[in-house]
Amino acid sequence: MVKLSTLFWMLLVSTTGFAMFAVKYGVQSLEEELYRTKRATIAEEHAIRADEAEWAYLTRPETLDEMNRRHLSLGPIATKQLRITLGDIPMRVASSVASDASVEHPLDNALSTVPTPTDAPTSTENPTEDAELVKPSAPKALAKPVLSRRPRSLDELISQVAASR
Amino acid sequence: MIARQRLDDNPCRPRHFKPPPCSATVPDGPAKQALEACRNRLLVTGALFALVFAAVALRIIEIVAVGGGTAESQIGRFRIVAAPMPSHADIVDRNGNVLAASLDSPSLYGNPKQIVDAAEVARKLVRVFPNLRVDEIYAKLTSGKSFVWIKRHLTPAEQYDVNQLGIPGLEFEHEERRVYPDAALTSHVIGYTGVDNAGFAGVERALDGVLKGRREPLQLSLDLRLQYILREELQRVADDFTAKGGAGLIMDVNTGEILAMASLPDFDPNHPGGPDPDHTGISLADRMFDRVTLGVYELGSIFKIFTVAMALDYGTATITSTYDASHPIRIGRFTISDYHGKHRVLSVPEILMYSSNIGAARMAVAAGAEKQREFLARLGLLKTPKIEISEVGAPHYPAKWREVNVMTIAFGHGISVTPLSFSTAACALVNGGILRQPTLVKLPMGYAPQGQQVISTRTSEQMRRLMRLVVEHGTGTMAAAPGYVVGGKTGTADKVSGRHYAERKLLSSFVGVFPINDPKYLVLTMVDEPHPNKESHGYATAGWTVAPATSRIIERIAPLLGVQPVDESAPEVQRALMVESMQGKRIEAY
Repeated sequence: MVKLSTLFWMLLVSTTGFAMFAVKYGVQSLEEELYRTKRATIAEEHAIRADEAEWAYLTRPETLDEMNRRHLSLGPIATKQLRITLGDIPMRVASSVASDASVEHPLDNALSTVPTPTDAPTSTENPTEDAELVKPSAPKALAKPVLSRRPRSLDELISQVAASR
Repeated sequence: MIARQRLDDNPCRPRHFKPPPCSATVPDGPAKQALEACRNRLLVTGALFALVFAAVALRIIEIVAVGGGTAESQIGRFRIVAAPMPSHADIVDRNGNVLAASLDSPSLYGNPKQIVDAAEVARKLVRVFPNLRVDEIYAKLTSGKSFVWIKRHLTPAEQYDVNQLGIPGLEFEHEERRVYPDAALTSHVIGYTGVDNAGFAGVERALDGVLKGRREPLQLSLDLRLQYILREELQRVADDFTAKGGAGLIMDVNTGEILAMASLPDFDPNHPGGPDPDHTGISLADRMFDRVTLGVYELGSIFKIFTVAMALDYGTATITSTYDASHPIRIGRFTISDYHGKHRVLSVPEILMYSSNIGAARMAVAAGAEKQREFLARLGLLKTPKIEISEVGAPHYPAKWREVNVMTIAFGHGISVTPLSFSTAACALVNGGILRQPTLVKLPMGYAPQGQQVISTRTSEQMRRLMRLVVEHGTGTMAAAPGYVVGGKTGTADKVSGRHYAERKLLSSFVGVFPINDPKYLVLTMVDEPHPNKESHGYATAGWTVAPATSRIIERIAPLLGVQPVDESAPEVQRALMVESMQGKRIEAY
């Protein structure tokens, strides 16, 4: 009996001892790995900083200007290029409309099928009305806006639609 | 006892024979006591051991379960004391472009005691660094010391090459180096650093304490694109008119942020003391001199905007007042005459439009010295400007404000201020009358710092209309950038040379604001000693030199700043800029 228990304790001691050393060396190698990773991270961070500075150097306005002159020849935006508004874009004229007055303007058809935007600021104050408007099938939302006259530009059309609602 | 003894003594007892237990022998007396004491001691020792083991077990549980495995390594060689942090934070522009960065820059040193074949090492090193000399390296490596610098601040590529050589005895010392990728472009603003990255000039010096130990980069109000355009156009004017130098700045009139600031000639902050192939024959001091913040100049006619604003704000003149400019004024040894002389009575708008010295002088005299001085002080023109740069120039002005001083100051002579102070005050004239501190640090979006109301909003509105007139019909017509509604004022000053004004040495400047009907940005351009050329028909005045440059600058920067061009003939623009005194009449008819 004594022998068995001695064997048990000796086994336990050696197992624990082995486990302890195994853990210890495991931790040590992990520590080493961590240290190496940290070192690598630092080196990487330095490299990133150097790359950032190099990027700043390579993309400095002077270089870009020189590159542009050599390959693209882009110029500054002229004032007249910026002066165009939506109003300056002419509407497409349907050839049949001009001759036949009874034919509906294609725009009217298009407007009747497209639900009008429902984000009018006045309607949001009334929840019931708002709920009605949100439904796409609601007859009110589909009601054709009455256009006072044929719009000549997109801006005018938008303002007319806004006014009719 | 007797029986046991007998058994043990028996030589014939088999080895594994165990005698049956004898009758218990209970010792008594002192023996029993000794046994008790032993037992007690054993118990105490056992308890102590149990306690210690319990403590160890608890500690293990604490580390594993409670501490979450964050216990720091206690092994010295694995310890990294601190994460790498540059000693000085980076500087970036308002869009995040790097203007100054601290880079890890290894320096190469050698330990001659460990080097076996110095001649061979020297030959190999020269292959990596062609501008080093073999004999110099050889001399260093055979000096018998244990530490010699071979080359400071290597590039990563050079470091790699040296490592490739694999020579024992060569080591790297990690140092930090400040790098300016844009070189001269932002030189005067950013400044430069010396050893240990201590700031020596510009923002580097003034904000050294802020940059030190900071992790996030410092964001300046500068816009690199605008800076480039401004510098390029200034360089072009300086080259076209063979000028000595130039200066300029672009400022947000509603916040005081400086979007671009350039002074020519400039220097490369990467090698502040080094020679510059672009600027041969120009002294280092001249290249390092910041004409925008440090230089003080008699700016000339652009100062008339302050005279007119003063008269209008104090009510000593109205927009319809007239002053006699038909004859030059003689006072003491001075004669004040007009460059673009009309020789007649001029109204306030005309005085500004035609830049009449006589008219401005009379207007200032009518207001008086007291008011003029007080007004200029209110605009901050009589004190040293404050900005995130330590190189700032104090203004020069007469200690005793006599009548002759009143007259000359009215058209910008006899008082010297920095272009920075001038621009700051000019912003207040057009932005509704609020004077704001200029700044080089980016402000949060939509935030305008608290300013000081220095003139009434009405005067400010009148000044906008008058400055528009100068560009529309006056001396600054070449500054017009159609669509951007530029307003401004030209100024051509004679430079002081010794105790006299030098006739042929001019300082031409232009202050432009756009869009003047709703001011957003101010552009100041200045060129030092321009010489007339063929294109300018023999003129080197502001209207022919810096005014066209301002036009070009505005046309290039406005799209970048998101300023939408408008139709200048649109009724709402015209109405906003109409001068009451003319009541819609054309200026020629007036």
